[in-house]
Amino acid sequence: MRAKRFTLEAVDWESWLQPVTIDTATPAQRAALEASPQAGSAYFRTLANDVDSLAERSPLFHAVMYVPRGLKRAERELATVVTSIINGCVYCSSVHARRFVELTRQPEIIRALYEQGLDAPLEPRLRAIVDYAARLTRQPAAMTVADLAPLRAVGMSDLEIHDLTNAIAMFANANRLMQTLGEPVQPDTNAA
Amino acid sequence: MAISSPDLLETIIDVAPDSTLSRLRALRPDIVRHTQGSYDVLLCPADPGGLSLAERALIAASVAEASSHPTLAQHYRGLLAQRGEPADGERRETILRHVARVTTAPGTASRAHIEALRAVGLTDRDIVALTQLVAFVSYQVRAAVGLALLAQGQAT
Repeated sequence: MRAKRFTLEAVDWESWLQPVTIDTATPAQRAALEASPQAGSAYFRTLANDVDSLAERSPLFHAVMYVPRGLKRAERELATVVTSIINGCVYCSSVHARRFVELTRQPEIIRALYEQGLDAPLEPRLRAIVDYAARLTRQPAAMTVADLAPLRAVGMSDLEIHDLTNAIAMFANANRLMQTLGEPVQPDTNAA
Repeated sequence: MAISSPDLLETIIDVAPDSTLSRLRALRPDIVRHTQGSYDVLLCPADPGGLSLAERALIAASVAEASSHPTLAQHYRGLLAQRGEPADGERRETILRHVARVTTAPGTASRAHIEALRAVGLTDRDIVALTQLVAFVSYQVRAAVGLALLAQGQAT
């Protein structure tokens, strides 16, 4: 059954294409899958159909989300959850909301965003992150340098703003792949 | 590829050498490398499979235009002009309809849309390449906008 609600539970994903199988993968497909976060997942095996783009995207994703220093990992995860909520990506928001909670032990922040929406009360630094993520996701062309002022006002450095921007941009990417090549499904109904 | 550049995003944002933004980007070499690498394999692949180089330029131009990024749109229109417009017809219309959907309303895509792409001759590899292209340009637009703001903000 299709998973329709934003959740902190794990969600599965079912491909609308024919995912590459590990047994029949070419050496290049195998290498690109091994460089991806979860080599065996149907999502990455679907992307492996076009191996050269997967081989570039996985290290890009890794660098954007996990490169050390700069913006804290939890704050990158929060920004990607905001982007995923706006774009309606139930699977992406589930994965990255759980990463945020693992890092912060603050599920209440995610619950507030899910239940009350992006205007839910938040401490000032998180408020600034959520607002910037929402604006860059929805209306990139309408942004001006004034949109950076709230980030600077909460003490964010240029490197942190750089990292935040890339995390949000990466999920403009991830949400589109995830939602148009397959669909999120409830784990218990996806026994296959 | 006359238009191809070693670091397209730097050209699009007009990053001054030795500027703060240039130094920030140098701290993230893998992002710079694989952003350009993604562009290279999606727009200028050695083997484009069943999605032609002209169709790839048209798709990227459509995404940049729908995202209201004139500089990127101009870049991809230039690439399309070099390669020649793909023929009018059902294949082109089906591809452009799907590209618009993935760009502006990805949550509305369905299995039936994949079948429509298959019906005009796209293989699973071509469908993944098309989707990666739309996803990449959507990323590129937001990275370009945010980094350009950072560059402007530093000038004041």
